[in-house]
Amino acid sequence: MLRLVTQRLLALVPLLFIVSVLTFSFTSLLPSDPVDLILGDVGTNEQYEMLRERLGLNEPVVTRYFIWLGKALQGDLGTSFFNSVSVMEAVMQRLPVTLSLTAAAALIALVVGIAAGIAAALRPRSWVDRFATLGATFGQAIPNFWFGLILVAIFAVNLRWFPATGFTPITQSPWEWLRSIILPSIALGTASSAAIARQVRSAMVGVLQQDYIRAARAQGLSTRRIIFRHALTNALVPVVAVLSFQITVLLGGALVVEQVFAINGLGTLAIGAVRQQDIPMIQGLVLVMVALVVVVQLLTDIIYGLLNPKARPS
Amino acid sequence: MSDEALLELRDLQVIYRGRSLLGIGAKPFHAVKGANLTIRAGETLGLVGESGSGKSSIANAVLGLVPAAGGSMRFGDVDLVAMGTRYPPAVRAQIQAVFQDPYSSLNPSMTVEDILTEPLRVHKNMTKAERRARAIELLKLVSLSEEHLGRHPHQFSGGQRQRIAIASALALQPKLIVLDEPVSALDVSTQNQIINLLYERRDALGIAYLLIAHDLALVHHISDRIAVMYLGHIVEQGPADRVYSQPAHPYTRALLDAVPLLDPAEQRARRAKRRTAALPEASRVAEAGCPYRNRCPFAMPRCATEMPPPYPVAGGGVASCFLLDVEGASARAAETELVEP
Amino acid sequence: MSTQSASQPQTLRRPRWRPGASHVVVAIAVFVLTLLAVLAIFADWIAPYDPLHQDLIHALQWPSAAHWLGTDDLGRDVLSRLIYGCRIAVIAAAEGTSIAVLLGVPLGLFIGYRGGWWDWVVMRLVEAIVSIPGIMVAIVIIAILGAGLHRAMIALGILFSTSFLRLARGVVLAEREEVYVRSARVLGASDRRILLRHIFPNIAPPLIVQVTLTVGAVLLAEAGLSFIGLGVQPPQASWGTMLSTASDFMDLNWFLAIPPGIAILVTVLSVNLLGDVLRDSVGRGIAATAEPETPAARYEAAAPAASGDASLPSPRDDEVLRVEGLQVMVASRDGAGEVPVITDLSLSIARGETLGLVGESGSGKTLTGLAILGLTGAGVRTTRGSIRLNGQELRALSGSQIEKVRGNEVAMVFQDPTTSLNPAFTVGSQIAEVVRAKQGMSGRQAWERAVELIHRVGIPRPAERARSYPHELSGGMAQRIAIARALSCNPSLLIADEPTTALDVTVQQEILDLFRDLQDEFGMAMLFVTHDLAVAADICDRISVMYAGEIVEMAEVDALFSSPRHPYTRGLLSAMPHASDRNPPLPTIRGNVPRPGSWPAGCRFSDRCDFRIPACDRRIALAGIDRSVRCIRADELEVELVS
Repeated sequence: MLRLVTQRLLALVPLLFIVSVLTFSFTSLLPSDPVDLILGDVGTNEQYEMLRERLGLNEPVVTRYFIWLGKALQGDLGTSFFNSVSVMEAVMQRLPVTLSLTAAAALIALVVGIAAGIAAALRPRSWVDRFATLGATFGQAIPNFWFGLILVAIFAVNLRWFPATGFTPITQSPWEWLRSIILPSIALGTASSAAIARQVRSAMVGVLQQDYIRAARAQGLSTRRIIFRHALTNALVPVVAVLSFQITVLLGGALVVEQVFAINGLGTLAIGAVRQQDIPMIQGLVLVMVALVVVVQLLTDIIYGLLNPKARPS
Repeated sequence: MSDEALLELRDLQVIYRGRSLLGIGAKPFHAVKGANLTIRAGETLGLVGESGSGKSSIANAVLGLVPAAGGSMRFGDVDLVAMGTRYPPAVRAQIQAVFQDPYSSLNPSMTVEDILTEPLRVHKNMTKAERRARAIELLKLVSLSEEHLGRHPHQFSGGQRQRIAIASALALQPKLIVLDEPVSALDVSTQNQIINLLYERRDALGIAYLLIAHDLALVHHISDRIAVMYLGHIVEQGPADRVYSQPAHPYTRALLDAVPLLDPAEQRARRAKRRTAALPEASRVAEAGCPYRNRCPFAMPRCATEMPPPYPVAGGGVASCFLLDVEGASARAAETELVEP
Repeated sequence: MSTQSASQPQTLRRPRWRPGASHVVVAIAVFVLTLLAVLAIFADWIAPYDPLHQDLIHALQWPSAAHWLGTDDLGRDVLSRLIYGCRIAVIAAAEGTSIAVLLGVPLGLFIGYRGGWWDWVVMRLVEAIVSIPGIMVAIVIIAILGAGLHRAMIALGILFSTSFLRLARGVVLAEREEVYVRSARVLGASDRRILLRHIFPNIAPPLIVQVTLTVGAVLLAEAGLSFIGLGVQPPQASWGTMLSTASDFMDLNWFLAIPPGIAILVTVLSVNLLGDVLRDSVGRGIAATAEPETPAARYEAAAPAASGDASLPSPRDDEVLRVEGLQVMVASRDGAGEVPVITDLSLSIARGETLGLVGESGSGKTLTGLAILGLTGAGVRTTRGSIRLNGQELRALSGSQIEKVRGNEVAMVFQDPTTSLNPAFTVGSQIAEVVRAKQGMSGRQAWERAVELIHRVGIPRPAERARSYPHELSGGMAQRIAIARALSCNPSLLIADEPTTALDVTVQQEILDLFRDLQDEFGMAMLFVTHDLAVAADICDRISVMYAGEIVEMAEVDALFSSPRHPYTRGLLSAMPHASDRNPPLPTIRGNVPRPGSWPAGCRFSDRCDFRIPACDRRIALAGIDRSVRCIRADELEVELVS
C-alpha cells in the first residue's frame, strides 16, 4: 500500500512541474504589462522603473519562474495587482465555499449515478433502464447554469423552500448550509451523475457477461452477493479511473454555477482576475485548483489500486 | 554454412523489454537464449514447445517483427540481423507468414480482393486487371472461387479465412513461409483440410515451412524435421520420425507422454505408472545449468552448474542433455528406457 | 414428450431495440438539427425583428402577438435573438469542433504510431492540461487572446483537442497490436501505408461518435462562457448571453430564461441522441446480460418415449444425473423466432463415473452443461425434457431453489481458468466465500478449509498461495484453484467444460490426473465436455458423441475406440493425427457442420456421410441401451469393417 502511494506521488511530480511551467508561460503571454496595470496612467517613468525592479520583472524568464515557484512552494502566491490582497489569502477565503459546493455535487453525482447505473444494468431494456438512459441523456444536455436558474425560479422564488442566493458556511449553521447548497449542487451534479450512470451501466453490463460471474452463479452464490460484491467491485474500476476527471469537470462547472446563485467562491475571483488581467491571481488560482485535482487524483488512484489488484506494484 | 541452407539461425537471442511505469525500466524478458536452427529449401521444420518456450519469438524474429538481440540469422546470403526490423522489399517477398487466429489476421474492413492484392500492390507494378487476375488464381490455389472476391472476412468460416490467409502468403511466391499455429483455432476436420492444402502447395511450389505448433502429433505428421523448445532453448532436434518415436531429451519424452493417445487401455496403463513415480515440484527458471533440471526425473548434480551442449543422437539430430554424454561415467544413462515406437 | 401447463414461461427478452424506436429518435434529431441549420442560414429572412433593435418602452414584456417570445431588458425581440442565436451556435460548434479535430487527430495518430520520446512528452502535456478544470483553461486562453466568439472557440478547440488526441492515439495503439497489422508488416508495407490503409479506416467510427459528443460539449461550453461574459460579447445574440441577461432579471420576468435554455437543451439533446445511435450502430454493442433463467412452468414428467426412443436404461441406484429428451432453443438472430440447438438429448451418470460429451464447435455440448445448471443466458431456453439430479427435478425448481442446488450438489469448472476467477479477490477468499455462504462456516473455518482444498489440488505452499490474485497464477494453477472451489461443498456432480483446452499439454496431463484422483477420493459423478477424443479416451468411462445438437453415439470408452459405429465417430477418429501415418494426405470429413436452423430434416450427418441411403432422410432415433447409435446402417457397417 505504501508502495502504491509513493509510486503515485512520484508520478504526480512531473505533472505539477509541467502545469506550473504552462501556467507561468501562459500568463507571461498575457498582452498587458503588469506595471501599467498597477500604476494605471498615473505613474512617472521613474516609478515605472522602480516598480519593475521591485516586481523582479527585469530578470530573465527562467529566473522569474523559479523565484515564483520557490515562493509558491512556501505558500506565498504573491499579491494581487488590484487590491493588494495576498493571493493566498483571497483564495483560501473562498476555497472552502467552492470546495463544499463541489464536494456536495460530487456526492450527489456518485450516489445517484451509481444507483441508477446498477438499476439500469440489472434489467436491460426494461422500463427502468430506458428511463435511466433517457434521464442520463437529458442530464448531459442541460446547461448546468440554466438548470440552476430554473431550480431557483421554482424552488426558491416560487415555493420558497430554499434561499435563492447566498451561501452559509457549515460552521455557522449546518442546517442553513444544507439549505443553501442543495439547489446549486443539484444543478452542478446532474450532468456528472448522468455520465457516471452511463459508465456504471455499461461497465456492469460488461462485467455481468464475464466468465467469473457465471462461475459464481454456478457455485450457487446468491444473486445479491454476486451483484454487489463480485460484479460491482469490477464494474467500479473504470468509473474510478475517470473519477478525478469528473471532479475536475465539477470544479470547473462550480465556477459558473456560483454566478447563478451569487455564491462568493473561486468563480468570482477567477472571472474578475481574467477581466483585469490580474496575473498573480490567475497563476495562484490555477495552481491551487491543480493542487486540488492532484490530491483527488491521488485518492482515486489509491481507491483504484484497492479495487483492481492488477494495478498494484507487484 | 551447410549446403543449400535456406535459413540458418546461430545462437539467436531475442529479448523483450518489460513494461514499465514512468519510463523507469522493468526487467527484460529473455525469450530466446541461443537458438541454432537450419532449414533447407523445400523442407518443413516443425518447432514445438509449450507456452513460454520462445517458439513464437523465433517466428517473430525471423519475420523481422522484433529485432534480434544477438546471434545471427542468415537467409541465403542475406544477413537478417543486420537489417533489424526493416527488411528490404526483396527479402520481405521471400519470407511470408500465416498466423494463428483466422478471426483477427484479416483486416475486417478490407474485401478479399483487397487482401489478396495488397502484397502485389506493395511489391510489383501490375495493373489493376493483372492484380485481379492473380487474385483469382490465388483463390483457386486454395480451393476458393472468384465469387469470394467481393466479400469481407466476417462472411467466411474459420477454415475459409485461413485459406485466404494462405493465399495471401503465396501471392509473392516466397521461398519460406512461417506458420505460427496455423490450425490451432480450428476443428479437427477443418484442421486436416488446411494441412492437406499446405502439403499440396509445398509439393507443387517447393516452399520451405517453419511450422510453429504445440500439437506434436500434427507436427510429426507434416514435418521433415522437428525441433523442441523449452524456456528459450532448443533442447532437441532431428528427423521427425526419430524425434517422435525415439525422443532423446527427457523433456521431449515428457511432452510425448503427456499427449493422450486414442487408446483407453494404454492411457490407463500410463496413469498407473505415473502414480507410482514421484512428481518433482515444478518451479520454473533455473539460471545456470540445464533449464529443465527442476522437472527432470533424471537430473544429476552436473545439470545444475553446466549447460548441456548438443550431443549427437543415434538416428539423427542432436539433443542437449548430459544423459547422452557417453563419455561420462553415469550408469543411469544406460538404463534409460527408450519409448517404443 | 412432456407437456406444459397453461401458465407460460416468461417471454424472451429480445437483445436489441425494436428498429422503430431508434429510427424515430434519429428522425427527430435530424429534424431539429436541420431546423437549426435552416434558421442559421436564413435568419435574416425568418427573424421578424432586427435582433439588435432596442425598444426600451416595451422592455421585459411577456409573450404577446407582436413579440411571440416577449422582449428582453432593452426591448429587443427575444424570438429574433433566438433565431440569430442559432447562427452563433452553428458557427461556434463548427469552429470549436473543427479546431479540436484538426489539432488533435493528426497529432494523436503521429504519437501513437511513433511512440517513444514524442509520445511521452506529448502525453505528459496533455495530462497537465486535462488536470486543469476546462473552464479555467478556456478562461486563461481567452485572457491571452481576448474575449469574443472566435477567440473563445479557439480556446475551446484547444481544450477539446486533447480528447481527440487521446482517441486517435488509443486507436493507433490498439490497431498496432492487431494481427492483420502484423501481416501487413510482413508483407513489407511501409509505415505510411500501414497507417493510412490499415489503421486509419478503423478510426472513422469512434471519431464520428466523438465528434457528435464534442459538438454538444462545445455548445454547452460556449453558452457557459458567454453566460459569464467571456464568450460572445453583448450586444451579439448568443443563447448564453441571453441567459446572462435573463438571470439578472429573474424576479421581473422569469420567462426570459426559458427560450434560450430550451434552445440549448434541445440542440445538445439532438446531437447527443444522434451520437448515441451512431455509437450503437457503429461500435460493438454490448449484448443484454445473462438473465437468471425464470423457473420453468410446472410440467408433467416425461413419459417413457413413445416414439421408440429406448435411449436410457432404467435408473440405477447410484445414478446421480439423469437427463431425458432435453431440448434447448435459441432466439434466432433476426428475432423472427426460435431455433433448436439441442434436441432429444438423454444421458445418465452414476456415482464415481465419468461421462464424456464429445463434439466439435457448434455441436451444442457446452450448452448442455449450462442447461443442466440453468445458466444458459438470455435468449436461450430449455423447452422440453427432464433433468433429474439425485432424483430431484431441476426444471421444476424456482430461482432461489436452484441457487441452493448449485455449488452444493452440482458444480462447474470452466474452460479458461484465468477468466473464471474474479480478478479483484484473492483466490483463497473466493474459495472461502463459497463454503461460508453455502455451508455456514465462520470466516476462520472457511479460510482453513480453503487452504486445505488448495493443498488437496496439489498446489505447493497453499497458505501463501491462498493470498495470491488470479493474475499472479499460471494457467494450470488457476485451473486447480477453480477445481478446488468447485469441489469445496462436495457436490455429487461435477461438470467440466473443456477444462484443459486452454492449457499446455504437460499441464493438461497433470490436471487430468488430478480429476481422476479427486474422483477416486470424493466419488462424484463427472460430465466431461471436450472436443478432443484423445482426452476423452484418457479420462472417461463412457462417451457420448454429439453432432449438430444431438447425440449420435454412446458407448463405453473401450468399445467406442475399438469399434466405433456411427460414421461421424469413425470419421472423427480417423481424422486425428495420431491415427494416420506420415505423409499421405490426412483424412477429412467432407463438407461442414450444419448450423442450427439449417439442419437437414433426417439424419443431420447425412450430407457428409459416405454411407447415405434414401432412408437417411427421415428422423432417426437413438437405438440401443447400453450402447446406442443414431444410424440405421450401424450394424451393416460394423460387419463390413470387421470383414
